[in-house]
Amino acid sequence: MNKNINKQLLHDLPVTISLLFLTTGLSFFLFFFISKNPANIILFFIIGIITVARYTTGYFYGIIASSLSIIIINFFFTYPYFKLDFSFQDYPFTFICMMALSSVTSAATTHLKQQTEILAFHEKQLLEAEKEKMRANLLRAVSHDFRTPLTSILGSISSIESEELVLDSPECQELIHNIHDDASWLLSMVENLLSITRIQTGDSKLNTCPEIVDEVVAESVTRLQKRFPDTAIHVTVPSEILMVPMDAMLIEQVLLNLLENAITHSGSSKPVELIVENQPKDICFRVIDYGIGLQENQLGHLFDGTYSDGSSSDNRKGMGIGLSICQTIITAHHGTITAQNHPEGAEFLFTLPKEEVYA
Amino acid sequence: MHKFTVLIVEDEKSISDFTSRTLVSHGYRVSCASTGKEALSLASSLCPDIILLDLGLPDLDGMEIIQTIRTWSGTPIIVVSARTLEDDKVQALDAGADDYLTKPFGVSELLARIRTSLRHSNKLNNGNGLPQHPYRARGLEIDFSKRTITVEGQAIHLTPIEYKIVAFLAQNSGKVMTYSAVMNNVWGPFAESDNKILRVNMANIRRKLERNPAQPVYIFTEVGVGYRMADDEDMP
Repeated sequence: MNKNINKQLLHDLPVTISLLFLTTGLSFFLFFFISKNPANIILFFIIGIITVARYTTGYFYGIIASSLSIIIINFFFTYPYFKLDFSFQDYPFTFICMMALSSVTSAATTHLKQQTEILAFHEKQLLEAEKEKMRANLLRAVSHDFRTPLTSILGSISSIESEELVLDSPECQELIHNIHDDASWLLSMVENLLSITRIQTGDSKLNTCPEIVDEVVAESVTRLQKRFPDTAIHVTVPSEILMVPMDAMLIEQVLLNLLENAITHSGSSKPVELIVENQPKDICFRVIDYGIGLQENQLGHLFDGTYSDGSSSDNRKGMGIGLSICQTIITAHHGTITAQNHPEGAEFLFTLPKEEVYA
Repeated sequence: MHKFTVLIVEDEKSISDFTSRTLVSHGYRVSCASTGKEALSLASSLCPDIILLDLGLPDLDGMEIIQTIRTWSGTPIIVVSARTLEDDKVQALDAGADDYLTKPFGVSELLARIRTSLRHSNKLNNGNGLPQHPYRARGLEIDFSKRTITVEGQAIHLTPIEYKIVAFLAQNSGKVMTYSAVMNNVWGPFAESDNKILRVNMANIRRKLERNPAQPVYIFTEVGVGYRMADDEDMP
C-alpha cells in the first residue's frame, strides 16, 4: 500500500510541476514578446490546471496547481511585474474560480477512471463466462462421445462372459476386435483432451520453441502408421531445412487428427497425401484425401465442434471434437486452418507463421 | 536355458498383472513390487536382469529410485510412465534410465524394448576389445573400422560431425538417446546447451540417408526427447 502511494507521488508530482513550468513558459513568451493581454494568460493557466487535474489522482494536485498558478500570475504577469502584490480586491474570486475548476475536473477524472475499471471488470467476466461455456460444451460433447464406445466395450465383454464363447471362435474374435477398436478410439480422444489441457494450463500461452518441420511430420506419420499399418501416406516436404516456432506435441496432434480423419472418413483406400509448402511468411501443411469429400452445407460448421458425418447415425465416428481441437491449437499458434473440397475429395489446410509473432 | 529375471515396479495392479502375464508367457521370470521401498529391496536381493519402473509411485519419486539403483548397479532400467510430458522422460533418461515406454504401450513394443536393453547390457558386460562388427539395418550398413556408410551398396558421404552422430546412434541402436547425450558424445562435455546445431545436423543427415526425410526408416525422432536408431539386424 505504502509503495503504491509512493509510486503515485512519483508520478503525480513531476506531472504537476512540469505542466506548470510549461504553462508559465508559454505564457511568459506570449506576454513579453507578443501581447500583454492578461485574459489570454488566465486562459493558458486554466488549460494547465485542467490538464493537471486530468492526469493526476485525487483533488490535491489540482488545488496545489491552482494556488501556485495564482502566485505565478501575480508575480510575473500583473503590475508590478516580478513582485508579489495581493492588494487587488478580486484575487480571492480568481482563486476560488480556479480551485472550483480544478475540483470539477478532478471529480470528472476520478469518475472516468472508476467507469473504465468497471468496464474492464465486466469485460473480464464476460471472457471468463465465454471460456466456461466453451469448457462446458467440450465436456458435454466429450461425455456424449465417450458413452458410445464404452457401452459397446461393456456390451461386448458381457456377451463374452455370459455366452461363454470359446476364445478362438469367430464371434469372440470379432467382439475382441471391436473392443480393441473402441478402446483405441477412446485413447486417441483422451490424447486430444490432454493436448487441450496443455493449452489451457497457465495463462494459455504456448510453450513454443523452434522445431524442424521434417521431424514433427515424420513423428506424426510414424505414429499414425503404427495405428493404421495398412494405409499408405504420401509425404512431400520442401528440400530446405525449415525451423518453425511451435509446440511440437500439439502440432503433431493436429497432424494426427487430420490424417486420421482423412483415412477413416474419406471412404476410400487411396493413399492420403500430406504436403508441406514453404511460403514467404508461413509454412503451409495440406492434408489431401481422395474420397467422398465433405458435405457442402457443413463446411461452415466444420471446426465448431458440432460437425458429424450426416450419412451415418453413429455419432462417435463424427470428427467434431478432433477438428475443434485442431482449430484451438492452430489459433493458439496464430495460424489459420481451413477445409475445402477438391474435385476428387477433401483437403484440409493449415498454416503456421514462420516468425515468432507472439511474444 | 537361463531365464532373464524382470522386476516390475508398478502400483496399478491391473497393469502389473497384464505385464507380468505377457512376460511370463514369453519366457521371462517375473517379480513385482508395488512400492518404491519394496522395489529397492527386491532390486538388491534379486539382482534382476532388467527393471521396468513406473515413475508415479505412492511412496518414492521414480527419479530417486533410478538414482539409488544407479549408485550400485548398472541393471538396465526401462521407465514406464503415463506422463506425456517430455521433461520427465528426459530427466529419467539423463538420471540413468536406459529407455522409456509411454503408457499405454503394446505388447510387441514392450518386448522389443526389453530385448534391446538386455542386449545392450550384455554387450557392456562382455565388453572386450574386439573390433565392433558393422551395423546393418534395412539396407543401411555402417563399418565402424573403415568409417564408411552405405545404403543399398551406395556410399554415403557425411561430414565428420555427421558421421560421429550416426555412429553414436548406431552403437546404441534401438535405444532412445537424449539430445544432451548425443551432444555430450559428439561435441564434448562443454557443448552449448542449445541443441539446435544437433537438430540441423540431423536434418542434413536425413536428407543424405533417408529416401524421404519425412518418412524416415533409419533414424526416428522422439519429439522433445531425442533420437532412436533402427535396431541392428545382426545383433545376437
